Amino acid sequence: MTHFGSAIRNRREHLRQKDRRYSLRQVALRIGIEPAYLSKIERCDVAPPSEATTIRLARELGEDPDVLLALAGKVSSDLQEIIRKRPRLFAELIRQLKEVPDHAILRVVREVRDGEW
Amino acid sequence: MITLENDRLVLRFSDIHGDARCAIEFQRTLRIPDDDRDYPLPPGLGRFPLRHLDDHAPRLPEQWRRRGGVIAPIHQAEAMWINFEADSGYPFAVKIATGKICALTGDGWVDHLNSDPQDYVVLPEQPWLDGYCVERGVIRQFVAMPLGDGYTVEEQLTGAARHGGLQIVVYPMKRERYRQLLARDLDRSRPLSAEAPILQAPSAIGLAPGGRMKQEVYDDPHGLDAWDQRHGARCFITLANSTQWLAITGERPPTVPPTAKQYTEAGFPWFEWYGGDAVAVAGAEKFKSLASVTQLGKAKGEEPLPENETTEVPHIIGLGSGGVRPVREYPADETGG
Repeated sequence: MTHFGSAIRNRREHLRQKDRRYSLRQVALRIGIEPAYLSKIERCDVAPPSEATTIRLARELGEDPDVLLALAGKVSSDLQEIIRKRPRLFAELIRQLKEVPDHAILRVVREVRDGEW
Repeated sequence: MITLENDRLVLRFSDIHGDARCAIEFQRTLRIPDDDRDYPLPPGLGRFPLRHLDDHAPRLPEQWRRRGGVIAPIHQAEAMWINFEADSGYPFAVKIATGKICALTGDGWVDHLNSDPQDYVVLPEQPWLDGYCVERGVIRQFVAMPLGDGYTVEEQLTGAARHGGLQIVVYPMKRERYRQLLARDLDRSRPLSAEAPILQAPSAIGLAPGGRMKQEVYDDPHGLDAWDQRHGARCFITLANSTQWLAITGERPPTVPPTAKQYTEAGFPWFEWYGGDAVAVAGAEKFKSLASVTQLGKAKGEEPLPENETTEVPHIIGLGSGGVRPVREYPADETGG
């Protein structure tokens, strides 16, 4: 299983090879945390940061916030709110969709309807 | 297929390729002064809310219901820009129109793509589009105006006020071309009651040409043959003014953005984008006859754009094309860890 810290570090280092603005210090400052704290996160010395910081980090590194939150063992608060409103229904839905392939899941997602124009 | 996720249109073409996904969002922004100066890129102030039109069908006139798509609120004289995300790197051709007039060429709407002149932008090369391509390297900002007052591009070019809103169609690159490219690049709701009143004869909102901005629209580096025009996805984005939005959705629209002057005087930055070696397309011949909102307002003896003072822009941040694409973001004062 991929660790949050090493995933962050790999992605940041990959970006830094092309652009020096992705140094640990500059990324930390841009997302509003101390460089020492980001260093500890990357080394897995501390638990993954808060949801807000994880989302800022994801945006900074061009990653999907939901994917990084999942790596951090978290579910975004908007998803939690959705589940809390209809817990039984969504728990059942997610369990049933557990083994279903991606393309089949996408069929149940609501499409934006195109009409006549 | 197009889905609506967190106020973004997310397009997936899973039948073509697992990487074939992109997103389009409509960013709130400052209206740049319409004073014939060339301004840098204004910031994004967050996404316009988007809702499924079908969720509010009982309150909508038949013409709007037929279009399908989504609906967004916008204040009169408010500006917007369109943000493209194709993080997977899969290339797309995206055609954008307002009032069914192509924003790149000024031609009337057709679903298919044309290369001479090019009537689409190419993702991921094109990060955003802020307006109508009036000259090489210059656009005129998208500014919302009521349909029927004569300011919109649609009315100026066709003489009719019929459609308003925005229209998009997106085509993915052909699968084989993408594989070749990969090989080559390997090293680099809420329910409404049945008694809800239907909006009577709503005046739609259209987009009109505002101030000038330095922005390049890039030439297609792949060629027309690269695009899979059998697998497009399109969407009509209906624009509602704030009163209509509240009546239709029951939601309050976003607040009016700050003026360019207020934003600049607060010390916040504007942006410039360097697209590297990408070649920019020329402006559309048909847009040469367009009058900007202010120019047309003067001719009509009206002042359609409030607070249109010239603004000096001392603080410009350069955004390069290396690494991941930086976001033109309002520099919110966020801290925490």
